[in-house]
Amino acid sequence: MSGWKLTLKQAPALRVDLRSVSVAAFADLDAAAVGRHVVHHGNEAVALGDLFTVAPQADGELRLEGDLSKFDRIGWQLAGGTIRIDGDAGDYLGAGMSSGEIVASGSAGLLAACEMSGGRLEIGGDAGDFAASALPGSMDGMRGGTLLVRGNAGQRFGDRMRRGTALVFGDAGNFIASRMVAGTIAVAGRLGAHPAYGMRRGTLLALGPAPALPPTFVGNNVDIGVFWQLLARDLARHGGAFDALPKRKPQRFLGDLAAGGKGELLTLSL
Amino acid sequence: MELNGITIDDSFAEAFPMKGTRLIVTAHDMTWARHAAVATTGFATSVIACGCEAGIERELSPDETPDGRPGISILIFSMSGKELAKQVEKRVGQCVLTCPTTAVYAGLFDGDPIALGKNLRFFGDGWQASKMIGGQRYWRVPVMDGEFVAQETTWVTTKAVGGGNLLLLATDTAAALHAAEVAVAAMKALPNVIMPFPGGVVRSGSKVGSRYPTLGASTNDAYCPNLREIAKQSELGPDIGSVMEIVIDGLTDADVAAAMRAGLKAAIALGAGSGLKRIGAGNYGGKLGPFLYHLHKLVPGAAA
Repeated sequence: MSGWKLTLKQAPALRVDLRSVSVAAFADLDAAAVGRHVVHHGNEAVALGDLFTVAPQADGELRLEGDLSKFDRIGWQLAGGTIRIDGDAGDYLGAGMSSGEIVASGSAGLLAACEMSGGRLEIGGDAGDFAASALPGSMDGMRGGTLLVRGNAGQRFGDRMRRGTALVFGDAGNFIASRMVAGTIAVAGRLGAHPAYGMRRGTLLALGPAPALPPTFVGNNVDIGVFWQLLARDLARHGGAFDALPKRKPQRFLGDLAAGGKGELLTLSL
Repeated sequence: MELNGITIDDSFAEAFPMKGTRLIVTAHDMTWARHAAVATTGFATSVIACGCEAGIERELSPDETPDGRPGISILIFSMSGKELAKQVEKRVGQCVLTCPTTAVYAGLFDGDPIALGKNLRFFGDGWQASKMIGGQRYWRVPVMDGEFVAQETTWVTTKAVGGGNLLLLATDTAAALHAAEVAVAAMKALPNVIMPFPGGVVRSGSKVGSRYPTLGASTNDAYCPNLREIAKQSELGPDIGSVMEIVIDGLTDADVAAAMRAGLKAAIALGAGSGLKRIGAGNYGGKLGPFLYHLHKLVPGAAA
């Protein structure tokens, strides 16, 4: 299957929905036919070729180049293959993806990795609000796979997250891991206000300065060394601040007691 | 064939296909890992009455285990995957879950999956927590010393082989025992095999059938020195006063062969002066088991 390289000609005036753009969808098409593929720019149908220069790629990957911050739903429900974005991406980046890999060199808009269930999504810059969370009205957020945010994360990161691993190399906004059902979130930098609000189960790991603990969390200073080594060694392979995790020892807090208290907030700040 | 004064019978060991898995048990220190592993592999000498054959494969240093603690790898073999799953659940539930500070992980990652912590988690009575780490699911079960961590699944190989064996025939008990100990030590240095009997050695080798209809196996009278002169057919010459057998189970055919080769080499090196006079092997005529290990092909210097 041929890959495709789409180079943005100029930034559009309105938002463009790229959910129909994938290597799989273009499997039987030549470059001219890909250029005629219709996407929506606001409520107007435009040909992909009007927005991008289209060129085939031998490696089978989908490459997007340019400032794509107005392009939404890149990698929507991706089920395999690789998408590389050289620049920023719009909203819903990798939303609902179940397999494959998306690497964006820049930042992502709202709801990146929301309801992601597998694969790997790497955001080189910042992630907007509601990353790794749920689509509006849905009960479960991110439910599998690995999300890496090299920059900072916005608010409500991992809202209703159920499974999978989400790492933030920078700081995180307010209400991280709100209503979290399960899974693992680790933040190298600072946490915003109200971390793990309404958390039911799962793990929120804060490597940075001590977060202001919610009053509905309770200290539980017991040995979880076995589990910690399994988790820390797995996170360490992502490098950066996570590299030295196996050598450190976490402090454990249980909560949110208002939601059963089976979640855990681990801090390393001491 | 005679090597170093020891007669090597022109015989072969006859072995059977089994299902096997490896478990990694870790603990706070090697003492407690060993307690758990010894208990888990206890009463597991023969599938005839134990349901499985199990043993300690080797000790693992902290850098070889998933959680960085000392551990022990154990191998468990059964005739069927279903029985193996039952045995793993019972043994891990009673002997690892109960043992202070332990955790348990899969030691094989291909083949058919069976439950490891998958059902034991219910001991947590709702407080158990699951965690996906590196694509594997682990269960954290709260217990009185902290938490018991168990991988959800282990995997079963269908290529395992049970019943490789050596018979060591010597002038007296001391010589037979010494030869057996030396051979077992040499085999224990190899991976992927266990010798399931006490100390790796069995003195009650059996033949198929019995004069009592309810028994499927009975004493191997042809190799009993007490019956040397009176059994209908004794395999023992006047110089043999004691016989020991070593039984080997391995994850593959080649592993069992390698263990027999190592055992033969170590025993032959003792020389006839040690009292070891003959080495044989147990079989059923070659028609029952698909794996045949001819001694003459396994002795040192034999063409592989």
